[in-house]
Order: sequence, then C-alpha cells, then structure tokens
Amino acid sequence: MLESLLRATLLGLQLGVTLALIAAGLTLIFGMMDVINFAHGALYMLGAYIGLVIADLLGSFWLALLLAPLVVGVIGAGIEIFSLRPLYGRNPLYHILLTFGLAIMAQGIIVEIWGARSRRIPAPELLSGSVSVGPVTYPVYWLFVLAFSTILIGTIWIAIERSDLGILMRASAHDTEMVDALGVDVKKVFTAVFVFGAALAAIAGVLLGASRSVHPGMGFGVIIEAFVIVVIGGLGSFKGAIYAALLIGLVIAYGALIAPALTDLFIFTLMAAVLIIKPSGLFGATEAA
Amino acid sequence: MKAITEYAHNLKEAVGLSEVTAPAGEQVLSSQGRIAALIVAGVLAAFAPVAQAFEPFWLNLLTRMLVFALLALSLDFVFGYAGLLSFGHAAMFGAGGYTAALVVREMTTNALIVLPISMLVGILVAAFIGWFSVRAKGIYFAMLTLAFAQMFYVIIFTDLPAAALGVETITGGDDGLFGIPLYDIFGIDFGSRLLYFYLTLVFVLLSFAILVRVANSPFGRTMQGIRENEERMQFIGYNVQRYKLLAFAISGGFAGLAGGLYVPFQSVAQPGLLHWTISGELVVMLLLGGMGTLWGPMLGGALVIYLEERLAGFATWEIILGSVFVVVVIFAPRGLAGTLISIRNDPRNAITNAKGALRNYIEKVKG
Repeated sequence: MLESLLRATLLGLQLGVTLALIAAGLTLIFGMMDVINFAHGALYMLGAYIGLVIADLLGSFWLALLLAPLVVGVIGAGIEIFSLRPLYGRNPLYHILLTFGLAIMAQGIIVEIWGARSRRIPAPELLSGSVSVGPVTYPVYWLFVLAFSTILIGTIWIAIERSDLGILMRASAHDTEMVDALGVDVKKVFTAVFVFGAALAAIAGVLLGASRSVHPGMGFGVIIEAFVIVVIGGLGSFKGAIYAALLIGLVIAYGALIAPALTDLFIFTLMAAVLIIKPSGLFGATEAA
Repeated sequence: MKAITEYAHNLKEAVGLSEVTAPAGEQVLSSQGRIAALIVAGVLAAFAPVAQAFEPFWLNLLTRMLVFALLALSLDFVFGYAGLLSFGHAAMFGAGGYTAALVVREMTTNALIVLPISMLVGILVAAFIGWFSVRAKGIYFAMLTLAFAQMFYVIIFTDLPAAALGVETITGGDDGLFGIPLYDIFGIDFGSRLLYFYLTLVFVLLSFAILVRVANSPFGRTMQGIRENEERMQFIGYNVQRYKLLAFAISGGFAGLAGGLYVPFQSVAQPGLLHWTISGELVVMLLLGGMGTLWGPMLGGALVIYLEERLAGFATWEIILGSVFVVVVIFAPRGLAGTLISIRNDPRNAITNAKGALRNYIEKVKG
C-alpha cells in the first residue's frame, strides 16, 4: 500500500513537472498577449514528432532534446508574426478561434506526413534500467524527466522573478503601453515569449515522447489538461500554473490508483470546484473579466 | 477624413464584440430575410426527391447539414446575442441524442413525444451547467462550460449511471448504443430517408422561426444589451444572471433537439457526440458563418459538414478546413454573413475593401 502510494507520488510529480512545462508557456502567452493558445498542444505534438525524426536521423536522444525545441521555436515565430500579430487589439476571442483553426491544420499536417501510427522516441542507453527509491523500483528515465523538468522550471521561475528580462516581461504583461512608451519594442517581446512557450512545449513533447508514445491524438489530449491547469492556477499566473500542474499530476496519479477510468472526471470536477469558489483561479491576480 | 474612419474603427475594436455580431437594435431578420429563408426551405424541399432519385448520398448529407445548422443556430443564439461563448454545447447535443436513443428503444418512437423530451433534457443539462457558469465572464465562462461538458462526456463514456444504479448498462460505455430505430408520428412512418429529411427540415425551420422571434422580442433586446454593456444593464435593474441563465437554457433546448434529430438518423449514440472537439467545431461553424445573424451560422454549419464530407476522402481535409478557417478569422472576421451583407450593401467597393484588408494585414505583420 505504502509502496504503491510512493510510486504514485513519484509518478504524479514527474507528470506534474512535465505538464508544468506545457502550462508555463500557455500561461505566459496568455499573461503577455491575452491569447488563449489552442495551438499549444499542436506545438507540443510537433516537438515530439520532430524529436522523433531527429532521433531517427542522428541517432541521438540528446540532440533531439536540443534541436526539436529550436525548430518548433522557429515555427512558433512564424505563427506569431503571420497570424497572431495582425489580430492584436481585436477581441481576444479571435485568438481562440484562430489558434483553434491552426490546431486543426497542424493535426492534418502531422497525419499527412507521419500517418496515424503510434511510435516512441528511443530513450538513451544511459538512462535505461531502474533504480530503487526506498521500497519501490523506478525507471531511471522517469527520474531523469523529473529532475530535468524541475531544474528547468526552477530556472525559469528564478529568471522571471529576478532577471531584467523577467522584469521586462512582467512589465509588458502588466502595462503594454507604458513599456512601449519607454522605447522597448513590445512586438519583439511578444514574439520572443511565444517562441519561448513553443520551445518549452516542444521540450515536453520530446520528454514524454520517450516515456509515453508519439501519436496524432496527443496534441488535443494534452491541451485540455493544460487549460485546466492554467485556469485552476489563475490565467496568466506563472506561479499558479506550476502549483496547479503539480496538483493535477498528483490527481492523475492517485486517480489511476483509485479509479483509472474516472481520472478525467476528478480533474474537471476539481477545476469546476475551484472556479466556482474562486472565479479567477487560485493565483489569479484580477477578478475574472 | 481618414483620421475619422480610423477613429471609428478603433472605437469599434475597443468595444470588441459589436464588430463580430450584429449591431444592437437592428431587426434580426428583415421581411426580405424571412422570404429568403422560406425560399431556401422551399428549394430544399423540392430538391429532396430529386436527390433521392439520383444520388441518395445527397439526401443523407443534406439531413446532416440541417442538423448541424440547427446546432450552430442554437449556439449563435447564446453567443451571438447574449455574448456567452459556450465551449460545451456538445453536452446538450449529446444529452438530447442519448435521451432520444433511450426513449425510442424503451418506450415510444413517436417523434412528437421523443423530440420534446430531448429538448427538455437539453434545457435541464444547460440549466445545470449554466447555474454554475453564468457568474463567470468571458474566457472563464468558456472554460467552465468546457469543464462541465467534459464531465458529462466522462460520465457517458464510463457508463457511470449504470454503475451508480447497479444495472449492467445504460449508456453502453465507449461502445455507445446501437440500432436506434427511426421515428414515426401517429402511424406515419419516417423510416424512409426522404421522409426523415422532411421531418428534420420542418423542425429546423420551426426552431429558426421561434429563435428569430425570441431574438426580436424585448427579451432578445435585453440580451443584446447585456452583451454590449453588462454593468449598465445591471445598474438599470435587470437581473443579468437570470437572463443569461435563461438564454443558455433556451439554447440548450435547441441543441438537445438537434441531438434528438441526429441520433435516430445515424442509428447510433456514441460518447463522441459529447466530446469537446464537437463544441470546438461548432464555434468554427459559427465564426465561419458570421455570428449574430442566426442565418449565418446555419450557413456555416451546413458548409463545414459539406466540406468534411467532400474532403473526407483526402487525408488533407483537416489542413484545408483549418486554413480556410484561419484565413476567414484574419480577413473576414464577420464571416460569410458579414461578407455577403457588405457585398450586398456596396457591391462596387467589395474589391477595394479586399485590397484594403490585404494591405492592412501586411502592415500589421511588418509591425
């Protein structure tokens, strides 16, 4: 009993930090540009597929983990410049609709190129096997994902809180016009944030592509989980997204222990409950508007 | 002069939704529009036997187009008029569909009994979701409706009602319910595809007439007022929350009706009916057609179903549908309806306007 609980906790934390990578981008993009990015799941999926191709071609998981986010980042820049940018200033609704259209498109493109078959990115030799954590044995790869994502998320957190760039980002999100007036090219900041979010999603795609599987449904699957996280945490709140991601990761893992078929029900009930009690989410700065 | 038009444009953008939807205070459907709607219905009715004779596939397609036109219409009523972006309309669609399946299998196949029950269940589900959601605004409302709809999806998918009641099966789990018989009305059998098409046409036309009526009524005006400026309406003394809930429930009733028409026609009820991607597709239909006109979204719904059917052979249909959609969002934010209206109002300027939109786009991309 204790053993399976510990195992579920480790699994939940590992899933949680990976989800945090996805949700962090989503929430930063919303916080900065008021864009609910429905294409974020597609970017995550694209990361996994491009990672797959790189791992196949170059035979290295590490290169996939390094290069796939760069490629997806470039794609993200294209999306931001050519489709999101012309819509800034319009009702935020248009961004939902636009990115939903982009997600449908990406889905079609991926099926067209790679087919519907499910695959897996080969994990590196170095991370094969398992270790004992207390009474449970745990795959080394999962521990790696847990450690890698935690360090990455921690670094980003500190960067946002402390660095000049982080301050600029938060300032741009808070008062775009003022930052613009101070001579900063806010358009470039927007593009950078979108590219950054896309790259984070791609990293998550490569990481999970080696432990779960790479298939065309993964984008639409993860986007709803990511939305739930971002909404529970409070739209636009980085801190909220991280806490909520860990919470949801644990709910999924413990849910799988109690009633595997009903984990989704637990998640959505949790989200509805949070929103009903606190309409702007756990760490939402402003009243829902 | 240019400064003034620019200012007006900025003002419109600041107000936001009014750019998307019909301006408040305008007649929802002019008498001209009513005649046009009747002509379209007449042409469809006359065309059906021809389709039946030459290409029965067309009759199936037309019936499905009608059902989704009704579904898009129901969403437009609550989004285009009350400004509530529901991302969970599949819940009411699916609930109506499953209700029809169960009633038709267990009790009666009389459409005049089953369809009102489907509608009622749609209203109840919408009232339940709306009760918790209408307090939230904008994105939060959309996300709450999405969450509740997904809860219903999981409940149907895992057949939770059967587990709760201790019986073997109710919703059929992920397999769904098969072999749903078609309707009859007091001895008249709607088993033939042609008659079923007429049945659907009549119900869709009636729904359209009712919703146009409601949208034109004082209630409809109040909803438009809430969409434009909720706080002001509240200060005037309207119970905004109750109006929203009522609008959402009415809309849910028509979504339930669409489900009730769809399931016996397809002869299966599957959990996929309630999945959030259906809700997303509905929003696509709405935007493609143009919100706030009631007829525009019906056009959008029919068009998306048609495109899906025609392009299904190509693996690329999603790419095409997605790109059409992206282009519409960027260049024709008021959808097909808006484009048609502006062409009708000013046919000569249509090309100049298109050029202007392109130039505007390039400028914005350059930053």
